Amino acid sequence: MMTYIVSILSIVFVVSFAGFSSKPSPIYGGLVLIVSGGVGCGIVLSFGGSFLGLMVFLIYLGGMLVVFGYTTAMATEQYPEVWLSNKAVLGAFIVGLLSELLSVCYILKDDEAEVVFKFNGMGDWVIYDTGDSGIFSEEAMGIAALYSYGTWLVIVTGWSLLIGVLVIMEVTRGN
Amino acid sequence: MKPAILITITSTVVLGTMIVLFSSHWFMIWVGFEMNMLAIIPILMKKYNPRAMEASTKYFLTQATASMLLMLSIIINLLCSGHWTVSTIPNPVASTMITIALTMKLGLSPFHFWVPEVTQGISLSSGMILLTWQKIAPLSILYQISPSVNSNLLLMMAITSMLVGGWGGLNQTQLRKILAYSSITHMGWMAAIMVYNPTLAILNLTIYIMMTLGTFMLFMHSSSTTTLSLSYTWNKFPLMAPLILMLMLSLGGLPPLSGFIPKWMIIQELTKNDMIIMPTLMAITALLNLYFYTRLTYTTALTMFPATNNMKMKWQFETTKKTTLLAPLIVTSTMLLPLTPMLAALD
Repeated sequence: MMTYIVSILSIVFVVSFAGFSSKPSPIYGGLVLIVSGGVGCGIVLSFGGSFLGLMVFLIYLGGMLVVFGYTTAMATEQYPEVWLSNKAVLGAFIVGLLSELLSVCYILKDDEAEVVFKFNGMGDWVIYDTGDSGIFSEEAMGIAALYSYGTWLVIVTGWSLLIGVLVIMEVTRGN
Repeated sequence: MKPAILITITSTVVLGTMIVLFSSHWFMIWVGFEMNMLAIIPILMKKYNPRAMEASTKYFLTQATASMLLMLSIIINLLCSGHWTVSTIPNPVASTMITIALTMKLGLSPFHFWVPEVTQGISLSSGMILLTWQKIAPLSILYQISPSVNSNLLLMMAITSMLVGGWGGLNQTQLRKILAYSSITHMGWMAAIMVYNPTLAILNLTIYIMMTLGTFMLFMHSSSTTTLSLSYTWNKFPLMAPLILMLMLSLGGLPPLSGFIPKWMIIQELTKNDMIIMPTLMAITALLNLYFYTRLTYTTALTMFPATNNMKMKWQFETTKKTTLLAPLIVTSTMLLPLTPMLAALD
């Protein structure tokens, strides 16, 4: 089962994306977002990126989504829309699921598909090793490189985040 | 908006475009586009009326979609070429998608529908930044990938943009919509020559920016957003009337004004590349644009438009509005034609 863990997690990932893209009420969207975020972490963890996966869990799910959940709970309506209550949402969800199922069947029937690049069956996505070069963990070295060679990227990213906050406050000020 | 926030946000708009211009890594270019788009939203929403918010939302949606397309095509390019450097794009799928993403950002047809609506919903100064500064970044990326761009696609977009910009602007009385359709047409001229001689596209962009900046500043000086209010110019600011005449005719591309330089060089470059029908069509569709520019000129400077009597006898106050850089802009927008041999050697 462990060799197929990435495939299973990817299926859950994609199904939960269809779940919140069909636009239920934000509470349920947030719920499915948590599931998809957690499963995405699982995929990153399976490829050996333990630090990055835990960071996403802690900061994204445990910080940002928690705040999102609280604000949505404050602003929610009396009867929020769930997937089964509104035909449009249910229809969108089923369309999303069906299109993913169809693309999976298209890939599996020939065991090889070329959409933009060649996809050679399940062999591409099975984990045999974590991708370490042996002596040091590539992923931790990458994060370390972000703060040494990638200083400009840190500056730009930090500035973009600050601007994101300023812009949102400016836009919602309204007077 | 508080001055500190305005300075921060404006500098981020500039910083975003600078990052796009000066990066060689595709990811940083995408980051620059996103920073630019995010920071210009509050500038578009300077006035808090529903029209401005609707315009900002439309702008945000189209630009975000274009950025997503850009990211997808960057990843496809990475898969096929194996590197993140901005150079020619070997994969035709990635190349087509990058072209479509960038033309969505520019407002070329068939992705032009947001331009008049967004320009109309925002104030004149925000519209000025939208139609001039925001065109620099996508055109610079098109310049860098121009050897690998699908020429059929870009030329189709160019000719349809010219038709849309010409016919769309014919029935307009709102000045911001007229300038939006003028922007669509000029982007069409730039896209047409991008495949054959990208330097001329940059030349066209420079002269277009100068002309549009001058036009917007003249409109802002008299706070006129409709043809009717522009027609009171002869009484409010008598000096502005002939200036509007010169600038409008320059936008239309009439010799001996500067607006003729890009059109002349583009048609010459296209005929050097054995294309005869295309520049003929382009020159003919430029007449559509010229019609509504001369109509603006006619109502402003050449006739006394029907007006009530109190509009024809205004108190002549001394103006307190700053006309920063207006004089050099008007001079460069109208009198650069003798310098054409020097401008064409830009590389």
